Amino acid sequence: MNSIIDVRGVSKAFQGQLVLTDVDFKVEAGKIVGLLGPNGAGKTTFIRILNGVLKADSGSIRIMGHNPITDGDEIRASSGIVTESAGLYHQMSGRENLDFFADLYGVTDQNQKARLLELFELSGHENKPVGTYSTGMKKRLALCKALLHNPKILFLDEPTNGLDPDGINMVLSYLKKYNQETKTTVLICSHVLHQLESICDSFAFMENHTIIEQGTLSQLEQKYVTEVIVRIGTDLVLKETKILGYDCKPIVDGILVTLPSKTEISTLLKKLLQQHQVHSVEIVNNNLESIYFKVRERVR
Amino acid sequence: MNKRILKAMIKKDLRDIYRTNTLLTTIIVIPIVFSVLFPTLLVGSSLLFDIEKAVGNDVEKMLSMFLSQTNNEQTFTNIEQQIVYLFINYLLPSLFLLVPIITASVVAANSFVGEKERRTLESLLFSPVSIKTLFLSKTIASFIPSLLVSVTSFILCGIIINGLGYQLFGEIIFPSSNWVALIICLSPMVILFTVLLNLYISSRVKTYQEAQNMSGIIVLPVIALIVGQVSGLFLVGAKLTLIIAAVILVVNVVLLLRITKLSDRHILFEKQIH
Repeated sequence: MNSIIDVRGVSKAFQGQLVLTDVDFKVEAGKIVGLLGPNGAGKTTFIRILNGVLKADSGSIRIMGHNPITDGDEIRASSGIVTESAGLYHQMSGRENLDFFADLYGVTDQNQKARLLELFELSGHENKPVGTYSTGMKKRLALCKALLHNPKILFLDEPTNGLDPDGINMVLSYLKKYNQETKTTVLICSHVLHQLESICDSFAFMENHTIIEQGTLSQLEQKYVTEVIVRIGTDLVLKETKILGYDCKPIVDGILVTLPSKTEISTLLKKLLQQHQVHSVEIVNNNLESIYFKVRERVR
Repeated sequence: MNKRILKAMIKKDLRDIYRTNTLLTTIIVIPIVFSVLFPTLLVGSSLLFDIEKAVGNDVEKMLSMFLSQTNNEQTFTNIEQQIVYLFINYLLPSLFLLVPIITASVVAANSFVGEKERRTLESLLFSPVSIKTLFLSKTIASFIPSLLVSVTSFILCGIIINGLGYQLFGEIIFPSSNWVALIICLSPMVILFTVLLNLYISSRVKTYQEAQNMSGIIVLPVIALIVGQVSGLFLVGAKLTLIIAAVILVVNVVLLLRITKLSDRHILFEKQIH
């Protein structure tokens, strides 16, 4: 596997208080990885260490083959970051902010700024001071700033905080498209799980200052979803707590059945359809959120 | 050292000063007070009022004593000339030093802690800007406006003193050797010292207020200088001005070396970013 990010046994403490403990983490080049965990789990500190602005107390890190401590500037020159605070100059206009950061990152393509402003629907606002922007506009401008120099890795710390639903959709769908077109590796930190499910190739879960699990959704599903809970929309009115020997319970407009595996769904449906109507069928415990809580349960 | 980055950072900081009203007000008001108001009041009042009548014999004796210490070659025909001469060449330069100190102090403190308070320092530390470039750009961006303010104040001061003083002395009396040594050597050294000390303090404290409070200490030697001259304890001539400038130059070099050694990105980040 071609790992663009390779972290082994990284620990970090601030004034004797552990913030990261023995973190192992790998990211394949060109993938979108979701770094998930509750507030205070250490996600932001981890991103700062990967960028070489904080120093790990122990462990080894390789980003694009570079050590963040000794080759920090090389890493920072080839990566883009959107922090939670956006980090923009409020007294400067959107355009001036981009001009300034373009100089810092050595961007020579003069059309790049206009392209990004257009893409993130900020063209009409480029000459207004950033201080007058809404939170969503600031976040979008921060994304423009992070993408100015066509980074190889994009670090996004809570990129959808403060965005309205339209803004969230726009940013996430753009990120997916951008990743597909440019093969840029993206690491997204978030605690809003449902937003990431559709765009991430794999996920890493942080809990108690370490990464407790990492894998694709199907790998995680295989490992953590030991039984399948299916919500079936049907006109069947339950008289018992079992159907075909499987546990079930009534819900509004249907039933909830617990099956040992996905293969039993067809058998169940065939039997049900002989006497009843079926309007909808949905597995409810294989989404990211259910898996996240299962993973967390394991370490508690 | 990346010149492109350095230039961009300096340009951004200078634009920031121009757009920050409180900063702009400070660097406009301070020169007006020290280089326009003070000399106008003194030279103007010596033209308007008969000071010779107002002062007694004791004051006359004291002025003669001060003048005997100065080794000046100027001849005085009246007491007004003596007062104005002493004020312009010995007391005003000390007061004038407050112009570059206050300006550099305000600009430098804003330059670094301002970035931190606006949460933009994080963006800079996440970019490929080396800490050396960061500090150098902040030093230059604080030094340039402070030096400009200092030189402008000097010119304004000269216009006022010569404009009003010509009527009293019948000749151009500004700048004396004291002033030349001050504006060419001492003022730039004091500005650099103030900027470096402020950057050093700013990189270690969290708020603009803290930085301002700590850097206020720079004013103390200047106050000592003023008190020393008013009390007659010592008079700072051109030679002493040059010696003080040389001492500050050494201090600046030491400070610069300390800043370069202590400016580690990780330490800076941990101290400045929550």
